[in-house]
Amino acid sequence: MSEPTITPDIMRISWGPQHPMSGQTRILLDLDGEKIHKITADLGFTHRGMEKILENRTFLKGIIPIERMAMIDTPNIGIGYVMATEEVLGIEVPERANWIRSLVCEMSRISSHLYAFGLQVEATGFFPAVFLWTTADRVLLLDLLEELTGARFSYNFFLPGGVMKDLPEGFEDRVIEIVHYLRRRFKDYWTAMIENVLFEIRCNDVGILTPENAIRLGACGPVVRGSGQPIDVRRDEPYAAYADLDFDVITEPACDSMARTKVRFREIGESLKMMEQIANEIPGGPIRTRFPLFTRSKPGEAYSRVETARGEMGIHMFTNVGMNPYRVKINSPSLRHMYIFERLCELDRMTMADVPVVVNSLDVWYLDADR
Amino acid sequence: MNYVVDFLTLNAKPLLQIYVLPGLAFVLVFSIVAVWFERKFLARAMLRVGPYYCGGRSGVLQLIADFLKLFMKEIIVPEDMNFLFFASMPVLIATLPALTIILIPFDANWVLWNIGGLGLPMFFAIAGIAPLIPVFAGWASNNKYSFIGAFRVAYMYISAEIPLVLCGAAVAIMAGSFNLVKIVQAQQNMWFAVPQFIGFVIFFLGVIIESERAPFDIPVAEVELVLGWRTEYSGILFGFTMMAEYVMFQAWTLLFVTLYLGGYNGPVIFGSVMLSHIIWMLVKFSVVVVLIILIRCIFPRLRLDQTLELGWKYLTPLAVLNLVFVLALKLWGVY
Repeated sequence: MSEPTITPDIMRISWGPQHPMSGQTRILLDLDGEKIHKITADLGFTHRGMEKILENRTFLKGIIPIERMAMIDTPNIGIGYVMATEEVLGIEVPERANWIRSLVCEMSRISSHLYAFGLQVEATGFFPAVFLWTTADRVLLLDLLEELTGARFSYNFFLPGGVMKDLPEGFEDRVIEIVHYLRRRFKDYWTAMIENVLFEIRCNDVGILTPENAIRLGACGPVVRGSGQPIDVRRDEPYAAYADLDFDVITEPACDSMARTKVRFREIGESLKMMEQIANEIPGGPIRTRFPLFTRSKPGEAYSRVETARGEMGIHMFTNVGMNPYRVKINSPSLRHMYIFERLCELDRMTMADVPVVVNSLDVWYLDADR
Repeated sequence: MNYVVDFLTLNAKPLLQIYVLPGLAFVLVFSIVAVWFERKFLARAMLRVGPYYCGGRSGVLQLIADFLKLFMKEIIVPEDMNFLFFASMPVLIATLPALTIILIPFDANWVLWNIGGLGLPMFFAIAGIAPLIPVFAGWASNNKYSFIGAFRVAYMYISAEIPLVLCGAAVAIMAGSFNLVKIVQAQQNMWFAVPQFIGFVIFFLGVIIESERAPFDIPVAEVELVLGWRTEYSGILFGFTMMAEYVMFQAWTLLFVTLYLGGYNGPVIFGSVMLSHIIWMLVKFSVVVVLIILIRCIFPRLRLDQTLELGWKYLTPLAVLNLVFVLALKLWGVY
């Protein structure tokens, strides 16, 4: 990216990529004193050519790289690719496999939201205690996922036509045990952090994204729900087992950073409700239909929409006759939110200290944006 | 034997004062103990154990190890820089606030420099120079993060020091003297924290702002400004800037205890008046230090504009109100 020019009375600061809080991207901040004059997001530090990589891999091998897009939330991204493959190849998924998929996706969503919450708390300058509390609670979920899938991150658990393994013996009881434990913990988080006076002062009325602007700029996921719009792919176009599960679409009317944090936080409660329901009501049956290793596709096209922890992700897949997809186009939520972040300083007054708070309230995963 | 006793009573007192209690050892040991305590204590809040290997599981020797590491590291100086100016600032900020400790009475007869009626103004004079040094340091660093951090220091100290001086004036009026020993003696029956509760709260917040501790650690906000005005310092110069934080903390906390918590007053223990006075002073000081460290693990950081708002819109008018209240008490002859 060529450096944009600045006027002499504006100071430009590089927030990243080598900065304690920035992550793997560079955000140029043009400062007028403490006030932010302009934000320029310089993406692409971790561009890996994900779409090109997928063209050169068979349908099955493509699952492995695409889960690297957001390491914190791998099942929710993998399921999008797997669903597109199933649609292109015309494969049916057994009902039990769909329920197991929903279970793994919700556990991953909780883990991702906990991580985002910890980072948001740290961005307000809180001593990193809460970040480590959420990390300690995430470990329980990761242990459970490890027992089920054999890995703590990047599970490669979803295959076209089903899932890799069935639930182990007594897994449902352990899920319910952890649901009860996490519910107790979330009461602590709510009183210690969300209702903390100084946390409220820092996050309220910061980075306001009105509902019109949220729709106009293409926000999705917890960001658009934090602006009061009940948009959720899980309810609008149910996939996996979401049509049979009871959950509410959480919205907050306040439109600021605090609203987005609260949405994420209350969504954890909905995910816990779904986990409990799945553990109690999961149907029996096979977990996988046959998917031959050397499957050849016919010419076709498929578009799958899934709700990842960061928002709606779309995967558009074209196929020719062959073992690889002809073209895969990924529409990721973090990229959209990065554009919104650039616009937010024009829509609302922002100071230097608000930058980490706002960017973490949008929960941008830079590798997801760069692909 | 007689010779030893005579030596101790006649000659050892000034030496003890200079090198041990209000002096050198107290300043150095406080920095080390406070950092150790903060690490271990806050680690418990973070579900960790803190320093674990140096000096056994308590990790008491970790600070020595850190100091040696910092001391042996190369000092990296950016190009085109006035080295003397750049390097002298951390040394100054670590030593200048420590000078104020000579004014603090640990007993009527255990003051390093009883300057009489100039004690309190002298403290504010010495401590008032200290905020200039981070500004110079940030300026000398020729770095954008340091520059912003330096000006945040300037904004913050001005907004905090005016309420502090007004509160100090109220205390001096109530005690009828600027002499710190007389201020402590005036609190024999009742601590000034009780009649001047507003001033007590303002001064407590002011102490946290002045020592740049959470939730007012705005000039060194890590998530925004890497390390604020300390960004360019490395090696032992960085060590000095870290020590400066604790020296400021110690100086202002000691003044806070002297002005509002009755100073060295307390029941006589161990049969010796002077010893009990010194012990009470240290106990009160430790309690306030633990309280301020505890605040760090329950509150996030405020923004600069919010801190300035707090300073100018709330603390300064309330400090004036406190002063008026004290004057009224004086006029009605309550004090």
